[in-house]
Amino acid sequence: MLKLLKNLIKEPMFVIGIFLFLTTVLAGLLGPSFYIAQPRSEFGYEAPLAPRGIEVDLSKNTLIHWVVHRGDTLYAKETIKRDSLGNMLNSTTPATYWIGTDNLGQDYMALLLRGLQNSLYVGFLAGIIATTIGTLVGLFAGFKGGIIDDILNMFTNLFIVIPSFVVLVLVSTSFPQGRSLTLIAILIGFTTWPWTARSVRAQAASLRGRDHISLARINGASNLQIIFKHILPYLASYVFMVFIMQVASGILSESAISMIGLGPLGEGATSLGVILNTAKNQSAITDGLWWGIFPAAIVITVIVFALYLLNNSMEGVFNPRLRK
Amino acid sequence: MLKKYPTVRYVLLRSIWYFLTFLVALALNFFLPRLGSDPVEIMMAQGSYSSPEIRKQTEENLRKEFGLVVVDKEGNIVRDENGNAVKASKASQLVNYISQVFRGNLGTSFENQKPVAEIIMEALPWTIALQLPTILFGWIFGNVLGALAAYRRGVFDKVIFPLALLMSSIPFFVFGMVLVYFFGVVWDFFPAIGGYASGITPDFSWEFLKSAGYHYILPFLSIFLILAGGQAIGMRSMGIYELGTDYIKYAKWLGLKETRVLTYLFRNAMLPQLTGLALSIGQMVGGALITEMIFSYPGLGLTMLKAVQTNNYPVIQGVTLLITTCVLLANFTVDILIALLDPRVKASLTMDTK
Amino acid sequence: MKFPKLIACSVLMLPFALFMSCEKKEDKAGESKAASYPRSQTLYLSGSQWGDPNTFNPLVEPWLVAWPANDRFNIMYEPLTAYNSLTGATEPVLGILVSYDVDKVVVDIQPEAKWSDGVPVTSTDVKFIYELGKEFPQAPTNYVGDFVSEIKVDTVDGKERLSFMVNKTGRNNPLVILDQLQAIRIVPAHVFGKYLAENNRDFDAVKKIKCDKDPVVSGPYTLVHYNNERIVLVRRDDYWGNKVMHDGALPAPKYIIHPIYKNNDHFAINLQKGALDASMNYIPRINDKKKDGVSTWYDSPPYFVPGSMHFLYLNTTKAPLNDKKFRRAMAAAIDYTAISRRALSNYTPEMKPGLIMSGGLEKKFYNEEEVNKHSVPLGDKEYAKKVLKDAGYKPFFDEKGSLKFTIGPKGDTLPTLLIKSPSGWSDWEAIVNLVVNQLREVGIDVREGFVDGSQYWPNLPSGEFDMIMRKPPVAVTASLPWNRFNSVMSSRNWRPVGDGNSMNENEGRYNNPQAPDYNKRVDKLLDLIPLIADEDSLKTAYTELNNIFLDDQPVIPVCHLPEEYYQFSTKAWTGWPTEKNPFAPPQLPWVGSGINTLWRLKPVE
Repeated sequence: MLKLLKNLIKEPMFVIGIFLFLTTVLAGLLGPSFYIAQPRSEFGYEAPLAPRGIEVDLSKNTLIHWVVHRGDTLYAKETIKRDSLGNMLNSTTPATYWIGTDNLGQDYMALLLRGLQNSLYVGFLAGIIATTIGTLVGLFAGFKGGIIDDILNMFTNLFIVIPSFVVLVLVSTSFPQGRSLTLIAILIGFTTWPWTARSVRAQAASLRGRDHISLARINGASNLQIIFKHILPYLASYVFMVFIMQVASGILSESAISMIGLGPLGEGATSLGVILNTAKNQSAITDGLWWGIFPAAIVITVIVFALYLLNNSMEGVFNPRLRK
Repeated sequence: MLKKYPTVRYVLLRSIWYFLTFLVALALNFFLPRLGSDPVEIMMAQGSYSSPEIRKQTEENLRKEFGLVVVDKEGNIVRDENGNAVKASKASQLVNYISQVFRGNLGTSFENQKPVAEIIMEALPWTIALQLPTILFGWIFGNVLGALAAYRRGVFDKVIFPLALLMSSIPFFVFGMVLVYFFGVVWDFFPAIGGYASGITPDFSWEFLKSAGYHYILPFLSIFLILAGGQAIGMRSMGIYELGTDYIKYAKWLGLKETRVLTYLFRNAMLPQLTGLALSIGQMVGGALITEMIFSYPGLGLTMLKAVQTNNYPVIQGVTLLITTCVLLANFTVDILIALLDPRVKASLTMDTK
Repeated sequence: MKFPKLIACSVLMLPFALFMSCEKKEDKAGESKAASYPRSQTLYLSGSQWGDPNTFNPLVEPWLVAWPANDRFNIMYEPLTAYNSLTGATEPVLGILVSYDVDKVVVDIQPEAKWSDGVPVTSTDVKFIYELGKEFPQAPTNYVGDFVSEIKVDTVDGKERLSFMVNKTGRNNPLVILDQLQAIRIVPAHVFGKYLAENNRDFDAVKKIKCDKDPVVSGPYTLVHYNNERIVLVRRDDYWGNKVMHDGALPAPKYIIHPIYKNNDHFAINLQKGALDASMNYIPRINDKKKDGVSTWYDSPPYFVPGSMHFLYLNTTKAPLNDKKFRRAMAAAIDYTAISRRALSNYTPEMKPGLIMSGGLEKKFYNEEEVNKHSVPLGDKEYAKKVLKDAGYKPFFDEKGSLKFTIGPKGDTLPTLLIKSPSGWSDWEAIVNLVVNQLREVGIDVREGFVDGSQYWPNLPSGEFDMIMRKPPVAVTASLPWNRFNSVMSSRNWRPVGDGNSMNENEGRYNNPQAPDYNKRVDKLLDLIPLIADEDSLKTAYTELNNIFLDDQPVIPVCHLPEEYYQFSTKAWTGWPTEKNPFAPPQLPWVGSGINTLWRLKPVE
């Protein structure tokens, strides 16, 4: 075990991966409680404020230049100029929003941290559910073979053919409080396990004929004992890697579901996908309000990238042939 | 039965299982949409009516039109003693649905009473046009890169691999949005939306082809690059695995030409990648939903999304039926292909029957 | 060393991919062989067709029919009159309004009016569509019998004169008959009568006819081509109205194309690029698009002419929303300026309380003194807190100042009230978000309750909500503001919450006729107002009704928005009506009297 870890640490991909992963997870876990959100901006116009230190000329839709700012105070010139009511609104309110605000004047940083936390929650919960179901189904199907394999295979195929977002929409109407984060995570978990089941099944099937399994069988071990004592341990590292991929796919699925407007609803239920969807609905792309999209987009990419790096570096260590 | 022909037996058994799966999927297909709200209520709430009687009348007409109430031979609504229309039971609707499906009738959309088959036929070409070339080229390009990375290793691998990994971690739609932002809005190189310019009549003219091709670039890129990244990673692992095998070492030792070795390598690493290709082509009809949404490509994904939001049962059922059929067919093909092509599986088939 | 070639090959194959895709698209749209439409002769308008067009049969339910055979579009099938939302005038189309009183509405048919096949438009056509509703309950005009008892036909000076008799025993409402004149489009009786006869008077069979090939119309344009991406109309150069109403001039655009966009962003992009000439949908930050040639009616906020109110409906049968003091406190606590600025790009003028708008055509009924006497001060949080305190509500806040819970006058903890709103309606989402914040500040425990459309729509008529965002289906017509009061306060069809035969007005269940505190005066006034002709009495009646509304606050108006947005680009066509050149109302040139714009547009060379 220790040796594995030593090998892992030598792998630059793993180091980068674990660094990115820990950073995002820590930011997601602790950020919302420690970061003090700036109050809503005083400016009364619906366009989001640009991030601190950046001046934007919307008439060209391009970034002009970085503004040198004195101390901590930068005035949101652009917004004041644009207040089309002609009122000079509180022109001394400093813009201290690190990555700007959303269209309602809320601190984007606070939203992003909360969204990250929720996305990670959904990703992990969905990952746990999908890996558990997938591993169990895959183990039994692969180990038992025969008719049980066929039935489980049919079951797996059924879940592959029904698009998950259809289930999500239909089920969420039966919950009067709307779609909670947990509901979304559970549904993602319940619709993404077939892939795990398929690959675990293949692995388990290849173990079925091994000598130590036959030995255990001769010694009178029950099927359950064999599966959990003799097969699962062999697959543990494999299952763990699958779990990492399932978390990544859970985070991606959540953002996709939110993008089509079916994301979590209700109090405080933001997520990275919801932030992107709001920005899209507010025409952030077409109006060149890039800061509405890029932070959340980068954060999603970074978590998923970190998880992929971890998965691949582990694959390299567990499967030595892949190592140089 | 058929013990002498294990492969035929295997194919037959598989077909039976897949047909069973299809039937269960058909029933699920019918019941799942009916878990949601009543589509007639959704429609009713959006109109205004001068009196409750008119409202009731309109509602009954809709229910009759959609086959949700029992109708007698003359086409009149059957009523109970209180004068309320008798609702058609789920079971009778299911029987009706399945018999209609096998006759090729998928019903009509609640939204505009268009036949569902027609709606699907109009949306399908867009989905295929967007996805099929993307999947094929992404697959080829990704696999070539992956094989290359596996074979060369060194600096090439060190650049390609993390890059491919990074590409495949970007969600499709995020990449699409970024492309639209830079190429469509900031630099204005490409049109950001639609299939072709709306002033052009779609025909075989050069003008139209140019416009369609021009509109195609961004959506194509948004899927292609990410897909290629994912394929490259898969191919690289398979390639490295195969490179370690004895036959490659032997071939190298024999001093065979590089391309030659690579062909062997490719061929053997291909099988899992081919299954992946078959599966993604099967799932293709589901549509790259969000990509279609962002670029306003009027494919099946968009059709489906709209139908789901209004509980338009016939359309949801029609599209999921198509997805179900294609995915099951693709899975079936893969199962059979593996049995026929992979010597190990083939051997195990023969062994099982002994 | 050979591998870069492979890469190069795959890159070179890209164009092949492009062509493959093009070919596929061909099959689909191959139905049209028409030439491309020259930009200088083509007007691109969008915003009324979102789904795939399927039928152009005007006898089918309006929501199933494609533009422009549905709703209030006057370019193919025409109504008798058109309403000018700017002047309030009823302008002639197929008919000329002669008189209007409590007994009858009289209209002359224009003798020159003709169908596109040369047959004159006569009283037969008018009677056909009105009587269709009596014979077939599934006809779109099935409601007219409640309002019109019969149509009498005379001939005066060689013109056919129609008298729509008010149904005294029915709804007794001549105001709605006036609305119907501009809402019901006349269809050719000789065509649809034949269809009915051919199908043994089976109306459902007639509804299956698509009417998309050479339809017989009376308007200035007709359908030539449609697919899922657009609908194309072509000018009818022999349109009868050119001579009668436009001094023989032709409308400027030869073609009108309605591209069908799938997503809201496309309107803004195409308007800015000059690929779309005008649209009627919500586009945020319209002011920023000025530099790209996109203009609106006013150059400064509110940019659009307000015409419809959006409301927060309250379930008045549920505690604490059944307490009018609580409702009044809510109306006072909301910061309407913040809503306009943050959620609506300043598209709302300064909010005045009540159901009568203080500007435009409704100004003559607006009694500022009375409004100020009865209304709570808008956007006054201190006042709201005081009202709540006096009524016995005690909010508790935590140390950070955010609301924990509120104790009601009876000592019970109040439930958290949810504001339902369809998810994805971004302007309403923003409004709800702001309202929740503002109400919580004064101690009212509310939360966002975004739901899918499939849940929102059924919950609305059945009353299953605490609060719900709502825009009543009230068109800007001659019957404003009566129809607004009617849709918000009428208890004519009152049903309890959850009743299957649910309500389509007053969804908040205000003023239960069975309750001991039923206010008879409300329904009485709603019945009376359509019968009052004299403007002073009308103002008195409206003032009384508005005062009751302000006292009881059954719903909360949150913003005044245009009924239809009207934004246009001057890149391809100029001569659009604006505040400075108000020759037509702020509507796209297809609704009401906005159609006159078509004769005034000029292509940019």
